[in-house]
Amino acid sequence: MIKFLFKGILRDKSRSLSPIIVITIGVVLTVMLSGLLKGMLTDMIDQNAWFETGHVKVMSREYAKNKDQLPNDLALLGVDTLMQSLQKEFPFMNWVKRIRFGGLIDVPDAQGNSKGQGPASGMAIDLFSPHSVEARRLNIAKSLVTGSVPSKKGESIIGNEFAEKLHLKLGDEITYIGSTMNGEMSFKNFRVSGTIRFGVAAMDKGAVIIDITDAQEMLDMSDGAGELLGFFNSGIYNDKKAQLVTEEFNEHYVQSDDNFAPIMFRLKEQNNLSGYLDFVNSMSTILVSIFVFAMSIVLWNTGLLGGLRRYYEFGIRLALGESKGHIYRSLILEAILIGTIGSIIGSVIGLAGTWYMQVHGLDLSGFLKNATSMMMPSILRSQLSPELIYIGFIPGLLAMVLGNMLSGIGIYKRETATLFKELEV
Amino acid sequence: MKENIITIEHVTKRYPVGEGEFTALNDVNIQFRKGEFAGIVGPSGSGKTTLLNIIGSLDSPTEGKAVVMGKNISELNHKDSALLRNLHLGFIFQVYNLLPVYTVFENVEFALLLQNKTVTERKKAVMESLEWVGLGKMANKKPSKLSGGEGQRVAIARAMVKRPEIVLADEPTANLDSANAHAILKTMKTLNKELNTTFLFSTHDEKVMGYLERMVHLEDGKVKQDEIIEAKKTE
Repeated sequence: MIKFLFKGILRDKSRSLSPIIVITIGVVLTVMLSGLLKGMLTDMIDQNAWFETGHVKVMSREYAKNKDQLPNDLALLGVDTLMQSLQKEFPFMNWVKRIRFGGLIDVPDAQGNSKGQGPASGMAIDLFSPHSVEARRLNIAKSLVTGSVPSKKGESIIGNEFAEKLHLKLGDEITYIGSTMNGEMSFKNFRVSGTIRFGVAAMDKGAVIIDITDAQEMLDMSDGAGELLGFFNSGIYNDKKAQLVTEEFNEHYVQSDDNFAPIMFRLKEQNNLSGYLDFVNSMSTILVSIFVFAMSIVLWNTGLLGGLRRYYEFGIRLALGESKGHIYRSLILEAILIGTIGSIIGSVIGLAGTWYMQVHGLDLSGFLKNATSMMMPSILRSQLSPELIYIGFIPGLLAMVLGNMLSGIGIYKRETATLFKELEV
Repeated sequence: MKENIITIEHVTKRYPVGEGEFTALNDVNIQFRKGEFAGIVGPSGSGKTTLLNIIGSLDSPTEGKAVVMGKNISELNHKDSALLRNLHLGFIFQVYNLLPVYTVFENVEFALLLQNKTVTERKKAVMESLEWVGLGKMANKKPSKLSGGEGQRVAIARAMVKRPEIVLADEPTANLDSANAHAILKTMKTLNKELNTTFLFSTHDEKVMGYLERMVHLEDGKVKQDEIIEAKKTE
């Protein structure tokens, strides 16, 4: 009998192919939009990670206490050794050193006199190491308005608005005026290789980006850095894993009474991101639930209509002596079969699409050219997560079966003769 | 004397209509014996289909007793009434009601699947049944490829394949032209004689009446006349 019914499903495209296509589309949309929503919200967090907090960050204890003041006199020393030990202990993370610094940018004229000055918010990153991904991580190349990424020492990128304000052109020289980590005056000239706009007001105002080795020389921080940032190789922040890494690292120094001993913080512990992350998680759950609910209603109706459309066939089967219970069970069995097939196909396509969107993303930079006040990623990315494996089954299988169950209740509720009349049998 | 296989005793059937009730059958008493070729005739609204539904265990009386193949219809649950239809009753409808995705063979085979017959038993019975109606060579065709007459013959084969004691036919010739109607009726008459199957029609078609051996006239839900027709008239 099952074989007979299965034959019917295969031959009747409106019972097999059509609902499978509808379910597949519904499940693909559910999985991909859930992944996209999670990816978008996660990307907003990632912006903080890339520019500021890392997935974890190592500082000296004293630096950490005053980090908003960028106290490079309290920076870590011996960072190359520390980096090697971190890379060895946590090989699933990529470790980078950064120096954030403040100071004044002076623009000299042909005679060497100052023709303009402005406060700088500087960031030194590893631009020249062959395996460094810092420039890519900060999306520098794509954020350039003019010029190019520094290719040799003594070059810098400055914020586009800052450059316009100071009437700077590519190739012009600027002078950094600040203090070294030892509190002495520091002067260093740089040539402007490019101007940049990240699309984030806080980042663009007075931005100066130079290579880490230039900063170390300029600030007299040989083998030193204000911050060591760790990023998961997957590129995705995992709070539980970050907590384990943090606990394991800090365990080494818990007994130390050195004020300059390194201390690690995970992303969630910095910049009050804990509350923001919890909010993002709650919003993400609510939005995904709303979408899954809406898609469930659509597929519920598909199941309902599919069942109602077959009352004619049920009438014939009743007349031939099939019991109502048997018809009802076969209807549910078919719904499970169709729902499962559609959900599996939809989930596979949805997961593949989500994976593609996670790896390649969708470049929206063209639409975000004028977005200067929002911290939004210019590339829309999805995020694969374990719940995406089963989330499509909620509308695809559960709603489909419930829809069929509801339509099938009519078989029981109606008197057989009434059902026959309705069936026009 | 042949045994009664259908006994209707003081059967009344009322349907709720708005705030009132409509009486479709009113104290009907009637019996049918095995092997009869009989018809319930009367104008529209006389209660023919209601009576046929009750005999077919598709409906139950409001009052009175309907006993079919020894089973009191009012006392049957869904499962038992399905079993009664599966084992003892065959249905032929005004429209042929073949399942369009299945072949002629599979449409006829379906009733036997419900009886858990083996593949060999099913194949033999289905082909035999199709041969009875002259469609042995059309077993692999889909219903959409059949003419109206052929479709109704498949419906007869489907009703007969399980060798039921009773075949209930509701206006079986309504959608057929005269030639096809006569061919179908002759086929049913032959099966009635050869297999001793009871045929019970609900009709107001003169062509069908011409073949009946007994006509129960219904009017306003009551039996007005129970008429036995001489055999020669239908030959």
